[in-house]
Amino acid sequence: MSLRKLLHSTTIADKVLFSLLLLLSLSGIFLIKAFVPEGHTVVIELDNKPVYLLPLDKDGIVSVDGPLGKTTVEIKDNSVRIQDSPCRNKLCVRQGWIKTGALVCLPNRVVVTIDRGRETGNTIDAVTG
Amino acid sequence: MDTLVTITVVSRSQEKADRAMNTAFSEIEQIAKLSDFYSPESEISMINRKSGISGVTVSPDVLEMLSKARYVSENTGGAFDITIGPVMSLYDFHKGIKPDASKIRENLHFVNYRNLSVDRNNSTVFLKEKGMLVDPGGITKGYAADKAVEILKQQGIHAGLVAVAGDIKAFGLKPDGKPWTIGIRNPAPGNSEDDIIATIGLSDMAISTSGDYERFFILDGKKYHHLIDPKTGYPASGCRSVSVIAKKGVFTDSFATGVFILGPEKGMKVLDKMGFEGVIIDSTGKAQITPGIRGKVEFKKTPA
Repeated sequence: MSLRKLLHSTTIADKVLFSLLLLLSLSGIFLIKAFVPEGHTVVIELDNKPVYLLPLDKDGIVSVDGPLGKTTVEIKDNSVRIQDSPCRNKLCVRQGWIKTGALVCLPNRVVVTIDRGRETGNTIDAVTG
Repeated sequence: MDTLVTITVVSRSQEKADRAMNTAFSEIEQIAKLSDFYSPESEISMINRKSGISGVTVSPDVLEMLSKARYVSENTGGAFDITIGPVMSLYDFHKGIKPDASKIRENLHFVNYRNLSVDRNNSTVFLKEKGMLVDPGGITKGYAADKAVEILKQQGIHAGLVAVAGDIKAFGLKPDGKPWTIGIRNPAPGNSEDDIIATIGLSDMAISTSGDYERFFILDGKKYHHLIDPKTGYPASGCRSVSVIAKKGVFTDSFATGVFILGPEKGMKVLDKMGFEGVIIDSTGKAQITPGIRGKVEFKKTPA
């Protein structure tokens, strides 16, 4: 089963929502920044740019496309792991489940961190003026 | 136009989100290109070049924007006037140049939205008098935010936020089930960009703010900002900032300007008449809020 099929058929994954924020300037500058959901957040970065922000308390599976291929990240029971990676030595997969700290896959440029510092209670999503 | 566009979407799939955001951004870019006052290739420049000569066939976007602009002029007693171009272009906010009073008087003659004819049946726009100029700066960004949200929805996105500079449109709810939190910039003199005076939660609504701090220069102790009263040719002085909340960004953008120019008293009446919500911070720093959002606007700082 392909990952996409898995994502579409999993009811757990259906409950997971991903937020992405794209910052673009009309003069042509291109940046990606992420929006922070409430509670503890799993931040998945590719090339130092956040591509996914997921609540730690919602189970689900996502993948990101790195230079070597797809890195698959699983969130379950308030823990996160790299389930699968196209890198050679699979050190990142061998790190197993974490509840704090970070998972790093240097060859595929993927970094997964659990961010316990930021809460969104007062986060402002945009500013007018 | 150097405008920062922020698009946020809530989606289950990164690919879908990316595709939707890129399509929405292309739409914004396209609208910006069509309505660029300074680019000779834009439709707006074509309309301006043909003033007093002939009508110009325009795209549905420009037609819609200009027809809405007329509607806003009519509903603000001309306080918002998209034909402000000839007076606006006399000012140079970068260099701090204040035009001669005689020159302002001379060019004020060309400012009259009634002489902007928008023919929806033939998709043409005509400036009836030579020398007239439309400057859509006060409506384009809000309109672009509307269109971007439309595109995102067409692409299957159910929640998100589009901010074209300070013109913001939010739809759906955040992943945590809450509305989007919008900060209103503090208009007190000398404020910084990240200084927030109040916040409000919005969903399926647009908000825009016009403030005297956006583009201005100070000459002989007097502040000259870009919100020019089409009746006098000089900056309006009743407000520091006006935020308008309504369904459509095309209206929040333009009415924020119109209400600012009308001043707090008349401005509140217009908001009431239109059924819009808003926050007006007057020239003394006092805030007035429309009844519909009282208790929903959270002030971080005491206005004054």
